[in-house]
Amino acid sequence: MIDLISIALITLGGVLIGLGVHFIPVGGAPAAMAQATGVGTGTVQLAAGAGLTGLISAGFMYNFLATSGSFTTSDFILVLASGAVGAMIMITVTMFIGQLVYVYCVGVPPVSAKVDVDPITGDRQDIYVSKGTEGHGVPTVSFVSGTIGALFGGMGGSLVYVQLMQIGNAPSDPAIVALAGIFATGVFYVNAVLASYNIGGTIEGFHDPKFKRVPKAIISCLVASLLCAIIAVPIMGGVS
Amino acid sequence: MSAVEGGPASGGLPPNKVIAIGVIGGLAGIYLTMLNQTFNTTIFSVMGGIGSIFAVVWGADAVRRVCSYGLGTGVPSIGMVALGMGIVAAIFGLILPETGILQIPAILGPVISFIVAALIGLVIGLLSNKILNMNIPIMEKSMIEIAGAGCLVMMGLSASIAGSFAFNDAILPSVVSTGYIALVFIGGAMTILHPFNANLGPDESQYRTLYVAVEKAAIIMVIAGFASLTAIDAVSAALTMLVGLLIFLVYFNKFMKSVHREAYKVVGTGLLPSAEELE
Repeated sequence: MIDLISIALITLGGVLIGLGVHFIPVGGAPAAMAQATGVGTGTVQLAAGAGLTGLISAGFMYNFLATSGSFTTSDFILVLASGAVGAMIMITVTMFIGQLVYVYCVGVPPVSAKVDVDPITGDRQDIYVSKGTEGHGVPTVSFVSGTIGALFGGMGGSLVYVQLMQIGNAPSDPAIVALAGIFATGVFYVNAVLASYNIGGTIEGFHDPKFKRVPKAIISCLVASLLCAIIAVPIMGGVS
Repeated sequence: MSAVEGGPASGGLPPNKVIAIGVIGGLAGIYLTMLNQTFNTTIFSVMGGIGSIFAVVWGADAVRRVCSYGLGTGVPSIGMVALGMGIVAAIFGLILPETGILQIPAILGPVISFIVAALIGLVIGLLSNKILNMNIPIMEKSMIEIAGAGCLVMMGLSASIAGSFAFNDAILPSVVSTGYIALVFIGGAMTILHPFNANLGPDESQYRTLYVAVEKAAIIMVIAGFASLTAIDAVSAALTMLVGLLIFLVYFNKFMKSVHREAYKVVGTGLLPSAEELE
C-alpha cells in the first residue's frame, strides 16, 4: 500500500525545486529600482512563474505520451525534459526583457556587486557598480545561473506532477489531472518559499556567497517534501 | 519589500481571541453547510463562504504578527506557503475517511484536515527557525496558525462552491474536475497575504488590516458564488454572491472611513497634466 518509490521521487522533486531557487537571480524590491543585481521581484514569484510554466509544458507532454498508449521510462525522461525546457524558456524571457528595461530604459550597465570579475566572461565588474547600490541588471553569470535554476526547478516540478499522475493512473481523467496539478503547485510553493527564506530574499546566482547556504535548504526541503509526499501519495491512490 | 523590521505587532484584539474567532467561525461555517443535506437544499452553501471569512481574518492577523518581524522575502511568500500547505492538508483530510484506509466517519474530515495542516505548519515553522536560522520567536506558532487558516479557507470556499464538503460526491466533481480549485488556491492565498501587504508601514493598525481582510474575503466569496452557478442551483449561488457583495460594501466603506480618519490629508490629484499644461 505504501509506495516508497513514489514518495522518494516526489521528495527528490521537492529538493530539486529548493535547489533551483538558489540559482535564480532574484533582486527583490531593490532590483525593481535597479539598485541590486537580479530581476526585480520576489523569489517565490519568479520561481513559481518558471515552475508553473514548466508544469504546463510537462503536462502537455505527459498528456500527449500517456494517452497514446504505454508510458515508458524514456517517456518519463522526455516529460521531465519538457518541463525543464518550459521553465527555462520562461525564466530566460523574463531575464532578457528585464535586461532590456534595465539597460535601455533605466540606463544602467548589467553588473554584479558580489564578484570583481564575471566568472564566465572575465569582464571587470566592480568599477561599473554605482555608488551605494548592490549592482544592476542581469550580468552574464546571473543569466546562466538563472537558466540552470529553471532547469532544476522545472524538472523538480514535473517530477512531482508526473509521479502523482502515475499513481492516479488515469491520464485523461480531469479530476486526476487537476488534483496532481494542484498538489504539484502546493509542493512547489512550500519548497520555493523555504528556499527563499534560506537566501533571505535576494541572491545573484551560483557565484553569490549566499549560495553556500544550499545544504541547509536541501535538508529543509527534504523534510518538508517528504511530509507532503507521505500525505499526497495515499490520496492520489485513493481517488482512482 | 520586507515589512517594518523589528519587534512584535501590537494593539487591537489579542491574538488568542482572533484564533478562537477563526477556528470556531471557520469550522462552524464548514459544518453548517451540512444543513444542505438535512433539509435537502443547497441554500446553506453561503455558510461555507462566511466560514472562510472568519478563517481569512485569522490568517491575515497571523500574517500580520509574523511579518512585522520582517521576513526578508516579502509578505506574499507566506500567503502562498499557507495555501500550499493548506491545500495538501485539506484534500488529505477530506479524502481520508472516504478511501477506507482508516475507519473514520466522514464528518470528521474537516477536523482531520485542520490537524494535518497544523502539523505541516509546525514542521515548516521548525525548519525555518532551527535549520534556516530565521530566528523569529513566533515562527512555529504563526506557521501553525497560517497553515490552519489556509486549510479552513480552502475548505470553506470549496464547500461554498460545491454545497457540501463530501469529497467524492461534491468537491471532486464540482471543484477539482472543473478547475475551480486553482481559483480557490490563488484567491485564498491572496485574501491571507494581501491585507498586511497593503497596509504595512509604521502606522499600520490591526483593525484597518482586518477590514481589508474581511473585504477581500468577501470578494472571493462573490467569485466562489459565481463559480457555484455551474455546481449548484442559481438561487443558492445568487445568495452567496449577494451576501458576499453586501459584506464587501460594508467593510470597504469601513476601511475607506478609517483611511480618511487616520491620514494626515486625503487630496484628489486629478488626471495627469497634458503636454500643453506642462509647458
